[in-house]
Amino acid sequence: MKTFAKFVVVLRLVFIERLTYRANFFLQILSGILSSLIIVFLWLAVYRNAGQEAIGGYTTAEMVTYLLGGGLINTFVLTTAENPETSQSIQDGTLSALLIQPLSPYGYWFFRDLGSKMFLFLLGMLGYGFIFWGFRNYLVLCPDGGHLLLFLLSLALAALLQFFLFESLSLLAFWIENTYGIRFATRVILETIGGAIIPLSFFPSLLQKIFLALPFHYLIYLPMKIYLGKIPLEEACLGLLKEILWMVGLALLSLILWRRGLRHYVAMGD
Amino acid sequence: MKQTAYRPHFFMMIIGKTVRIGLLFFFFQAIFFKVSRIGDWSYDHVLLLFATFHIVDYLMSITYQRNLAFSLPRRIQTGELDARMTLPVNLLFFVSFEDVDMIDFFSFLPSLGFLIYVFWRLDVVFSWPQAISYVLLLLNALLFLYALMLIIATTSFWTTQAYGLAVIVDQLLKIGRYPLDVLEGFWKVIFIYVLPLVVIAQIPSQALLRTLSVELALYALAVTGLFLAAAIALWRWGLRDYLSAGT
Repeated sequence: MKTFAKFVVVLRLVFIERLTYRANFFLQILSGILSSLIIVFLWLAVYRNAGQEAIGGYTTAEMVTYLLGGGLINTFVLTTAENPETSQSIQDGTLSALLIQPLSPYGYWFFRDLGSKMFLFLLGMLGYGFIFWGFRNYLVLCPDGGHLLLFLLSLALAALLQFFLFESLSLLAFWIENTYGIRFATRVILETIGGAIIPLSFFPSLLQKIFLALPFHYLIYLPMKIYLGKIPLEEACLGLLKEILWMVGLALLSLILWRRGLRHYVAMGD
Repeated sequence: MKQTAYRPHFFMMIIGKTVRIGLLFFFFQAIFFKVSRIGDWSYDHVLLLFATFHIVDYLMSITYQRNLAFSLPRRIQTGELDARMTLPVNLLFFVSFEDVDMIDFFSFLPSLGFLIYVFWRLDVVFSWPQAISYVLLLLNALLFLYALMLIIATTSFWTTQAYGLAVIVDQLLKIGRYPLDVLEGFWKVIFIYVLPLVVIAQIPSQALLRTLSVELALYALAVTGLFLAAAIALWRWGLRDYLSAGT
């Protein structure tokens, strides 16, 4: 209980920090919203030109809902992607100060990331609230309570999966001096094949198979497919089960990297 | 050459940037898998627009983007600009081109290859006037972006928000890789007249495709002139107000 209280303090601190630079964060969310809007307008132009109500199994309304929902998920998945703090602490030696504090650095980074995601999600909701209202005639509601429940669960799992994926990459800083390149390359892949700008079902089947074999589609594509009721509940449950397996695998990997890395860690003070 | 010191990082950045272009190529392919045109743009035309955007984007990031958008605001705020002011070289030129981005230089080469591939796909013989107007409008795009970056950088003479602004503008510029004339109403006005992102890739591409009107070409040159004049005026004004915060 005492440990949990410490982490609640970490969460509070993240909110206070973020609120200090709220203008920058809001502008960041705003630029994400504008980018999402352009993609929506591009797709609307595609639908206008196609002259058909549904393309690739998505009606205009479903596509708008998919893209705006994906945009909202992006506010806390992509904006916090890369977990720079972990890598930075190892590189510049500030990890040493964390190690002597009465809380686990791994837990500290986890709760800081969670705090950031919660903050950005709330800020994103505020920004996207106006956009949702503007597109209210297009938005499709979740078909039933079961899908809605699984959708909410998939959002929570997406947040965790993203953390463990990038945390594993960040922890490589124990062995390689600069992990930004590898995190950047992973983020680039996530941007497109996570499904934020296009449903993966639009890709040729070979590419779809490759993309679906990777964990990125659990972050946006699967949650939005569940929300739109594009998959039956049983299939959605199976998808989430596979996501949990990925998440547990990545969590274990990051914990192994953390323990081994710590044995490898050297910091020199002045 | 500092960037090449961490080789795995250096190569992963190049791979990441190349993969990004490859994945976006698949994105357009996936759209055109379902439709034959977006507005007046065919698949090959959109690829030209996309390749042109990335050529301009890379040329900007290799040369002045990092210097103006990220380094100059820091130098103004920390007072590091002082030492540069004493050098026997034009200050604006020096701070604009001080560091060359080697990662983007090597990432640029696949983009150039992609542009050549698109030229090959277009399967048309370009006339000299077309080719010259394309190159001139590319240079115009680079000057427009230079002005935009300088305007952002000069805000740091008066505020501490230049970094945030640079990040946002960097995000917004990416909108320029889509055909913006397919937008309607308000947004069309915004991206043609208020923040004229059409200057970056759409107008040069249209020149090459012979779909550009003389009025729009002249408009692109005028917009760049206007942005450049405003940027230089702000730079001079900022320098007059600069007090040096360094110790």
